[in-house]
Amino acid sequence: MASSPRSSTTQTALFAIALAGAIVGVFLILAYLGVNLLDEGGRFVSSLYPPVAVTTQGAQIRDLYTIVFVLAVAIFLVVEGLIIWTVIRYRRKPGDDALPPQTHGNNIAEFLWTIIPTIIVIFLFIVSWQTLNAVDTASANVQTKIRAVAAQFQWQFDYLADDGNTVEYTQFLPTAEIGGGMYVPAGRTIQLQLVSKDVIHAFYVPQFLFKRDVVPGRTNVFDFTVNESDAGQTFRGQCAELCGTGHSIMLFDVVAKTGAEFDTWLADNIKKASAAPAPPSGQPAPSGQPAPSGQPAPSGQPAPSGQPAPSGQPQPSAGGGGGGGGQAVNIEAEGIKFNESSVTAPADQPFTIHFENKDQGTPHNVAIREGSPSGNQIFMGDIFPGVATRDYQVPALKAGQYAFVCDVHPNMTGTLTVQ
Amino acid sequence: MTTDEKALLPVEHNPLASMPHDTHGGTSNPVLGMILFITSEVMFFGGLFAAYFNLRANAPQWPPEEFAHTLKILPFVGPATILLIISSFTCQWAVWAIRRDDRTVFIRGMAVTVVLGIVFLLMQITDYAFLGQEGLTLASGQFGTTYYTLTGFHGAHVFGGVVMLSVILYRGMAGQFSGRHYDAVEGASLYWHFVDVVWILLFSLLYLLPGKG
Amino acid sequence: MATTTLAPTAPTYRTGLYAWLTTTDHKKIGVLYVVNSFLFFFIGGLLALGVRTELAAPGLQFLTDTQYNEFFTMHATFMIFLFIIPMLAGFSNYVVPLQIGAPDMAFPRINALSFWMLPLGGILLLLGFVTGGTAAAGWTSYAPLSEDRPLAATGYGQDLWIMALVLIGTSSILGAINFLVTIFKMRAPGMTLFRMPILVWTVVVTSVLVLMATPVITSVLIMLFIDRNYGGSFFQPPGGDPILYQNIFWFYSHPAVYVMILPAMGFISEILPVFSRKPLFGYKAFVFATAAIGALGFSVWAHHMFTTGAVYLPFFSIMTFLIAVPTGVKMFNWVFTMWRGQLMLKTPLLFALGFLTMFLIGGINGAFSASVPVDFALHDTYWVVAHLHYVLFGGSVFGVMAATYYWFPKMTGRMLNETVGKAQFVLMFIGFNATFFPMHQLGLLGMPRRIADYASNTGWQDLNIVATIGGFTIAASMVLFLWNVFLSLRSGPVAGDDPWEANTLEWATTSPPPAYNFDRLPEIRSERPLFDVRHGRTSVH
Repeated sequence: MASSPRSSTTQTALFAIALAGAIVGVFLILAYLGVNLLDEGGRFVSSLYPPVAVTTQGAQIRDLYTIVFVLAVAIFLVVEGLIIWTVIRYRRKPGDDALPPQTHGNNIAEFLWTIIPTIIVIFLFIVSWQTLNAVDTASANVQTKIRAVAAQFQWQFDYLADDGNTVEYTQFLPTAEIGGGMYVPAGRTIQLQLVSKDVIHAFYVPQFLFKRDVVPGRTNVFDFTVNESDAGQTFRGQCAELCGTGHSIMLFDVVAKTGAEFDTWLADNIKKASAAPAPPSGQPAPSGQPAPSGQPAPSGQPAPSGQPAPSGQPQPSAGGGGGGGGQAVNIEAEGIKFNESSVTAPADQPFTIHFENKDQGTPHNVAIREGSPSGNQIFMGDIFPGVATRDYQVPALKAGQYAFVCDVHPNMTGTLTVQ
Repeated sequence: MTTDEKALLPVEHNPLASMPHDTHGGTSNPVLGMILFITSEVMFFGGLFAAYFNLRANAPQWPPEEFAHTLKILPFVGPATILLIISSFTCQWAVWAIRRDDRTVFIRGMAVTVVLGIVFLLMQITDYAFLGQEGLTLASGQFGTTYYTLTGFHGAHVFGGVVMLSVILYRGMAGQFSGRHYDAVEGASLYWHFVDVVWILLFSLLYLLPGKG
Repeated sequence: MATTTLAPTAPTYRTGLYAWLTTTDHKKIGVLYVVNSFLFFFIGGLLALGVRTELAAPGLQFLTDTQYNEFFTMHATFMIFLFIIPMLAGFSNYVVPLQIGAPDMAFPRINALSFWMLPLGGILLLLGFVTGGTAAAGWTSYAPLSEDRPLAATGYGQDLWIMALVLIGTSSILGAINFLVTIFKMRAPGMTLFRMPILVWTVVVTSVLVLMATPVITSVLIMLFIDRNYGGSFFQPPGGDPILYQNIFWFYSHPAVYVMILPAMGFISEILPVFSRKPLFGYKAFVFATAAIGALGFSVWAHHMFTTGAVYLPFFSIMTFLIAVPTGVKMFNWVFTMWRGQLMLKTPLLFALGFLTMFLIGGINGAFSASVPVDFALHDTYWVVAHLHYVLFGGSVFGVMAATYYWFPKMTGRMLNETVGKAQFVLMFIGFNATFFPMHQLGLLGMPRRIADYASNTGWQDLNIVATIGGFTIAASMVLFLWNVFLSLRSGPVAGDDPWEANTLEWATTSPPPAYNFDRLPEIRSERPLFDVRHGRTSVH
C-alpha cells in the first residue's frame, strides 16, 4: 500500500478530524434537542428527562432517574472519550513499520474493570430496589377505590365502594375533551384495579412515570396519590400494550380535582345514576358535560374544568319520549364500527335515530357534532351496552353537513347530511 | 486417482469426504451430534412440561370434576409402558451385538424393537379413541389440552424413532454395519432411549401423580 | 515436497446454478446464507421505511391501522429471524471451519438443509401479504391478541408466521449442532481450545444458546397454534394464562438477543487485533466473559415483563444489572487492544469503531430499563425501540458491515472499494443516530410503541420527522453498499491470500479457498498461527 508519506499523513489526519467532527456534531445536535427546556415553572426539564411527575410515587421515580442518568452520562463520556482519544492518538502514521508492543493482557486491569462496574451496578440495583419498595407497596390507608376496565378499544372507570367491589358509578367517557375522563381527588391515596375484558392492555400515564399491564384473567392493583398542588390539571393517558387495530386511539385522561370537588362530582353522578333507571327512549347525558369547544383532535388537551361557554348552541339532550317523532334514521354499531358511513336526515324538523348496539357488553352511543368529528357536539345520545336498541329523539337541525360519532370510541365516525 | 487429484474434486463427490474427519477421537461425530440433538429435544419437552406444571398449579382442581376418573379407564397405558421399556432393552441388546460384529443378533434385536415401537403407537391410538368417547379432546379445557399435547408430541417422537430405527434396520440388512462401523446405530439407539425416558416421566406425571382439590 | 497450488478453477462436473443449489460446501453455503440474509435485510428495511413514512405526520396517510400493525410485526420478524441470526450463522459457517483448519463442517448435508429451510420460511412469511394479511400482533405475538380475538389478527397470517418460525428455528438448531461438533471434534492438530480464534469461542457459546433456547420457543409456538386452531386453552382465561405465554416466550427470546450479538462481537474481536497490529487484549478474560454472558443470559428473561405484576422483580433486576459486568469487561478489552497499537483506519475498523461506540450507548440505555421503577415509565415506549436498535443496529449491523468488508476479499478474491466504504460508513452512522437517538426523547415524552398514529397536539411530530429523515439516510447508505458490491465484484482489485496482514488460518489459503480449504497447514502454537508464520516463530508443514 505505497503512497507518499506526506499525503498519507494529511489524508488520515483529515479523515480522523472529519470523522471526529461528524461524531461530535451529531451529538451536539442531539444534545441540543435533548436540553430543549420546556416551560415548567423553574423545575429542571429536558427532553432527555421524563415529564415532571404529578404523583408522589412519580416524583420518587424521577429522582431515581436522575441518579441513573448522572452515572450514565459519566460512563458515556469516560468510555466514548477513551475510544475517540485512542483512535486519534494511536492511528498508524507513516514510519510506523515495526510492530507495536504485543501486549497480551493485564490481570490487574481485568480485576479492576470487573470489580468497579460490579460495585456500580450493585449500587444501582440497591437504589432501584429502595425506590421500588417505596412506590409499589400497597398502602394501608386507601381512600378512593377505582377500577379501570380496558377493552378493545376503550376505557371505562368504575368508582367502587369501600368494599372494593360494588360499583357505585361508571364513567363511560374516557377522555376529558367531551367531559369524561377518570376523575380523581388530589392529595388522597387512590387504589386502582385493572381489569381487561379481552386482550392484554396497559394503563399508562406519562406524567405518573408509571404504567401497569391490564391482563385478562388477573386483576392488577396499584396505588397512587396525585399531588395536591396538581389539582385542576388533566393528564393524558394511553394504552401501552399492543391490543389490535385500535391500539393507537385507546386514549384516556386523568382529571385531578380537589378532594371536595371530587366528592361533589361523584355524589352527583351516583345520585343521577341511581335516581333514573334507563327508560326506553334515552336519558340525559351524565352530568358535568360541557358543550365541547371544538378541540382539534380526539386525544387533545381537554377543556379546562371551568366550563367553556356553550356559545349559544342547544344544550346536549336526548329528548323525552313521545312527540317530535318524524322519520327514523337507522344506525347500527357492530365490531366497534358503525354499519353506515353516511346517513341523511330531514332539515328543520325533529327526527329519530333508531340505534342498535350489537356489540355484547360494549358501550356505544350516537352523538352529533357540527361539520366534522372535531366540531362542536350538539347532540349526545345515551351510552348503553349491547346487545340493545334505543331510539334517540334528535331536535330539529338546520340543513348542512354534520358528523355522527360514538363518544366512547373515537374511531367510530360517519357523516350526517341534513337536507 | 492420486491423492492430489482426489483433493481437486468438489466436496460432494470426494471419497475422502465420507471419512470421519474427526481429529480428536472419543465420541464419534454422529453420536455427539445425536447427544446435542437430544439436548434440544429435552428443552422442547421442557417448555411443554413447564406449561403443564404452571396450568396445573393454577387450577383449583386437578383433574377437573368432569374428568376425575377419565384417565383410569384406559386399558393399554400400563401394557404399552412395559412394552416400551422392553423395547429399550431389545434396542440396547442389538447395539451390543453389532459392537461385537454379531450382525444376525443385531438385526433380530432391531426388528423386535421396531415392532414393539409400532405396537406402542397402536395402543396409544386406541387409548385416544377411548378418551374421545369419554369426551376428552384438545378443546376440553386445560386438562384436555395439556394431556393431548404432551402425549401427542411424545407419540410423534416415538413415530420419528420408529422411522429412524427402520432405516437402521434396512441399512443393517443391506450389510452397511459392522463391528468397526456402527455410529448411526449408536445414535439411533440413544434417541430411542431418550424417547423411553420421556415416556416414563410422562407416565408418572399424568397417570401416577395424585390429583389436587 | 511438491507444492500443489489448488486453484479455485479446478474442474468440477457441477457448474453454475446447479452447483449452488446442490452444494454441501460450507463456503458456498456461507455465501448463500449471507446473500439470503441481505435480501431479507432489504425487505425488512422497506417495511421499516413504510413505518417511518407513516409516522412522519399525524393522521393515517397511506396505511390502515391493520396494515401498520402488519408492517412493524413483519419488519421485526424478518430482521430477527431471517436477517440477523442467519447472517451471523452464515459468516460463521464460512469462517469457522477455515479458522480451525478443518476441511468442512461435520455434517455438510445437514448444513445445506439448514440453509434451504430459510428461504422456505421466508416465503411462508411473505405469503401472508397475499393471503389476507400477515401476522399483526407484533413479533412478540402475545396471547390472547394473537389468538384471533375480534379486531386483532385475522386471516392465515398468524398461522403462517408460526409455521415459518418453527421451520427457521429448526434450521438454527441443526446449525448449532453442526457448529458444536465441528468445533469440538475437527480442529487441526495443535489447536487447543485456548488457541482457537475468539470468533470460534463466540460461536460455541452462541450455539449452546441456540441449542438450549430455540426449542423452547418452538414449544410455545406450537401451544399457540393449538390454541388458535384446535380449541386449546393454554393461554386464554379462564384457566389459561397469558402470562405463561410471556414467560415461555421470553425464556427463548432473551437468550436470542445474545445469539444476535455474540458472533458480531466475535467479528469485532477478529478485526480489532488485525487493524491494531496487536493481539487481542485479555483473550482468556474474553472467553470467560462470553461464557458468563451466555449463562447469565438465561436468568434475566422476565425483565421484559416488569409491568405485568406477575414477576419476582428484585431477582430479574439484579441479574439484568449484573450482565453489564462481563459486557463491560469485553468493552475495555477491545479498547485496550487498540491502546498503544497502530490503527489502520480502513473500512472494517471504522465499522468496528461504530460498533464499539454505538453498542456502548445501547448498553447504557439498557441500564435504565434494568432499574424497575424507571422501567415502569419506559417500558413499551419508544425508549425501548431506541435501546433495541442501538444494540441490534449499532451493534450487530455495524458488526455485519465490518465482517463484510473484512471477509469479502476472502470470499470473492476481490477488495471492496475503500472510498465508497468510508462514505457508506459516514452516511450510515449519521443516518442511524438521526433515526434512533430521538426515540429516547420520544419514549420519555410518553410515545408508546406500536401505535399507527398520534395526535398533532402531543408534540411528537418534530422528533418523528428527524427519525424518518434518518431512516431514509440509512437506506441511501445501503444503496452505496450495493453499488460497492457490484462495482467490486466486477472490477475490484485482486485481494490475494492475505490483504490485511491478518492472524488466523483463513488467510493462509487462497482467496477464495479451494474445495478442501487447505493445501498445507502451518504449525499451530498460539491463537495467531499466521502471525507466527509471518514472524518466523513457526513454519508451514
